[in-house]
Amino acid sequence: MGTSPPRRFLYRGRSTEARTGETLLAAVSHGGLPLLERSLRYHRPRAPFCGIGQCTGCLVRVNGDPTVRSCRYLPSEGDRVDSPRGWPSVRRDLFGLLDLLFPQGIDAFRSLRRPMFATPLYQRVVRRLSGYGPPPPGVPPPEPSGPLLRKAEVVVVGGGASGEAVSHWLQAHGAHPLRIDRALGPTNGVGPDVLTGTSVTFLTPPRPNQEYPFALLGFDSAGGGVCVSARSVILATGGYDASLLFGNNDRPGVMTADLALAFSPEQERSWFHRAIVVGGGDRANEVLERLGSRVAAVVAPGEIRPDVVRIASELDIPLYPRSLVLRARGRSRVRGLDLKGRGGGPRFSLAGDAVVLAHRRLPNVPLFRLAGARTVWHPATAAHYPEVDPSGRTSVPGLYAVGPVAGPGAVTPAAVGEAVTVGAGERPVVGPSPIAHEVPAPGELEGYYRELLREPRRGRWIACRCEDILLREVEAASRAGYRGGELVKRYSALGTGLCQGRYCLPDVVLVLSVLEGRPPPEVGTVTARPPVFPTTLRALSSLDTVTAEEAA
Amino acid sequence: MTSVPRSRYRTVIVGAGIVGLYTAYHLARAGAGPTLVVDRGFLSGGASGRNGGGVRQQWETRATIRLARESVDAYRRFGREFGFNPWFRQGGYLFLAENAAELERLRTVHDLVRSEGLPSEVLSREEVALRVEGIAPGAAVGGTFLASDGTLYPFPVVWGVYEAVRSLGVDVVFGVDALGLEVRDGTVVGVRTTADTVATECVVNAAGGWSGDFSRRCGLEVPNVATRHEIFATEALKPFLDPMVVRPSDGLYFSQTVRGELVGGVLVPHPTGTSTGMPSSARFLTVMSRALVGLIPRLAPVRVLRAWSGFYDDTPDGFAVIGEDPRVRGFVHANGFGGHGFMLAPAATRRVAQAVLREATDLDPTLFSPARFLVKAAPSVAERLQLG
Repeated sequence: MGTSPPRRFLYRGRSTEARTGETLLAAVSHGGLPLLERSLRYHRPRAPFCGIGQCTGCLVRVNGDPTVRSCRYLPSEGDRVDSPRGWPSVRRDLFGLLDLLFPQGIDAFRSLRRPMFATPLYQRVVRRLSGYGPPPPGVPPPEPSGPLLRKAEVVVVGGGASGEAVSHWLQAHGAHPLRIDRALGPTNGVGPDVLTGTSVTFLTPPRPNQEYPFALLGFDSAGGGVCVSARSVILATGGYDASLLFGNNDRPGVMTADLALAFSPEQERSWFHRAIVVGGGDRANEVLERLGSRVAAVVAPGEIRPDVVRIASELDIPLYPRSLVLRARGRSRVRGLDLKGRGGGPRFSLAGDAVVLAHRRLPNVPLFRLAGARTVWHPATAAHYPEVDPSGRTSVPGLYAVGPVAGPGAVTPAAVGEAVTVGAGERPVVGPSPIAHEVPAPGELEGYYRELLREPRRGRWIACRCEDILLREVEAASRAGYRGGELVKRYSALGTGLCQGRYCLPDVVLVLSVLEGRPPPEVGTVTARPPVFPTTLRALSSLDTVTAEEAA
Repeated sequence: MTSVPRSRYRTVIVGAGIVGLYTAYHLARAGAGPTLVVDRGFLSGGASGRNGGGVRQQWETRATIRLARESVDAYRRFGREFGFNPWFRQGGYLFLAENAAELERLRTVHDLVRSEGLPSEVLSREEVALRVEGIAPGAAVGGTFLASDGTLYPFPVVWGVYEAVRSLGVDVVFGVDALGLEVRDGTVVGVRTTADTVATECVVNAAGGWSGDFSRRCGLEVPNVATRHEIFATEALKPFLDPMVVRPSDGLYFSQTVRGELVGGVLVPHPTGTSTGMPSSARFLTVMSRALVGLIPRLAPVRVLRAWSGFYDDTPDGFAVIGEDPRVRGFVHANGFGGHGFMLAPAATRRVAQAVLREATDLDPTLFSPARFLVKAAPSVAERLQLG
């Protein structure tokens, strides 16, 4: 690898190159952070936000397919890439007027009801305005394939550091794990035992009495599928950086640490020059270590940890602990942040061309839920984790957790490797693991939101980026008596977009906890639904699961 | 602990889905005295919040066609009456026939629908292709179509009726399960719940998928079976499909919502009964995708976002159960809608309210009667157009 020629593709009509292994997003970012999308309802400008293929900030149309995530797509020679939304262009979009015309938001459930004879007309207009793009152009129907069935003693899902470590441990001890990772391109040691660019879901709930209790379906980005039956499954699905609620929190330049860390300052492209980092713990530390020269300030909802203080003072970066983030300044790009000291502190503003959210890392738990594993609420990060013992065993025999998804530092790869090779399900689960998060303190984020919600608001507070749902719509639902996460989701359409609630629900649950006056776990979460990630009909139809299930 | 506001009600309705709430609405409008609605879960947590939103008038019996036609009128007026926009879009319902025999069967339905004064059409292969863009050649020999059928968003309908009954003084309590009846001399005098025992002279079983469970808790044998069905939604696309498309041969149905998502399902057998819960299966996703892509190959690159499931409350003959149970005076059934509670609720619940108030109804005295399951005779008429 490495010597193949760059691939040329058309980006907004201009010939562009992608080097080998370079994603479409990287290839189109040479002039800085690209503006690729307009939001669904108000046509607000959107730029990449998450960098890990979950949000809607980097959607582009590739050869007519309207919702390709450019951070997850390797361009092919001759691709035609453009932005499906925005008229006449994504940069200057006339529909952006909707954002100015409806400062209170559009109440889709109460408006456009009268007069009765006009409703078909309203529906036509709304239909035209909705949707990401026309359905993709005609393509040949997928080849009807039989089940591509594999058997594995151990499957490791997730190719990050902990997935890699546990795989190495197993290999060093004579096992041959099948490794599946959603990220594109080669992780270390591509081979028959590594499936990259593949997302998985469970075909059936685990069947504990069978020799191979787990049936997994894997779908790759090219539209292929594989069915794997496994004796043990180790989930090393890791975590992701959460969003945060503040005014204009969807402005281009507001991004998670996941995206910021994908950016390397050595390369010529510059997504930002002076970032304001939000957070005072591990993740903020990581951002400072890697991108310190481009950080203008560190602000934190809570305290800032001593090691972060140390590295920041070495780099002469000012620190603002215990700050309320009120609003991002700037119109088509972040220019700064309005803040206020907590506990009645003064208001102040900071200048910067990016806001990097590194305050809270959430575990990727949907696969645990789909497998029926018990989860436990951890107040320190205000999130549900799988319930595990020190060897990573979950409540489902044969299903293990390792790495950050099990709580950082609590479950080592060696402990899981040993438990898996010794034999599954012999010792019972002993209880939740001690999760070693130091910030924020338990209940800290609820306290933060309790204080923040009392502040006067400026700008649009976007609760759900995918569907353009505003915080005020969530509050209106709560005021109208709709209680609990499930109900508010249905009332506001929050969390029904492409990220399936990953970036909105964790914060909305905290807001609801404040509004309803009960602890966040009682507000409830929303049931995990397959597929875990958006999957094409082509990939889903490529497997004859009825036969696969019989074979398994 | 949730509690019930009063100790005595004229009527207690079990189930705050569309059928229970709409019944409460008709009762409140008729001034029928204090009404309580209890629900074991949360608002829209059952089939009323899980269905595909189809509303059609093409049925195999006149009785159902008439209820459906009345319901379509109600949904057209819904936005004005209830203050919530249900986005009821009359894009039509298109039934696909894969072969000549099926087309013949659909033609029989079509003749009946026309004789009821609804302008149903029989479509040729070419006409089907005009209405279903990109349909695979040879996938259908023809079909039937009724333009005034359509789809709506279930949620605003539920919110609208819920808020209407509350403003009319109906008490609606969630998280309370009904455990059984208090009966004296063969007459209902109360209902036991997980909160309190409530005195009442009339209990309405509108518990949807759980209605069979509730009747059996009351010691009454009923044939209702909770059948799990699954459904999925894709990412939102620009409009390209107007009608709801149904293929009776395998139970495939799908439509495009106003928001642009494709929403639909297909028949995949599951174990029955409410104890199996409402999980979603990857197997359904693959079967559904195969069926859809086989019919419209160009949809292959479209992404599926999520799938969910809910219960149909099925009866052996496919008709709902509406009316007073002949075994217990004051116990009224409003269940067995077999996945069509939403379509028929506005009209059917008017008859339920009439049964509660012991008023005369225009409902067919045999087809919907709870008594029909007590006689040992094979049903002569059945409603078999189940899916979609």
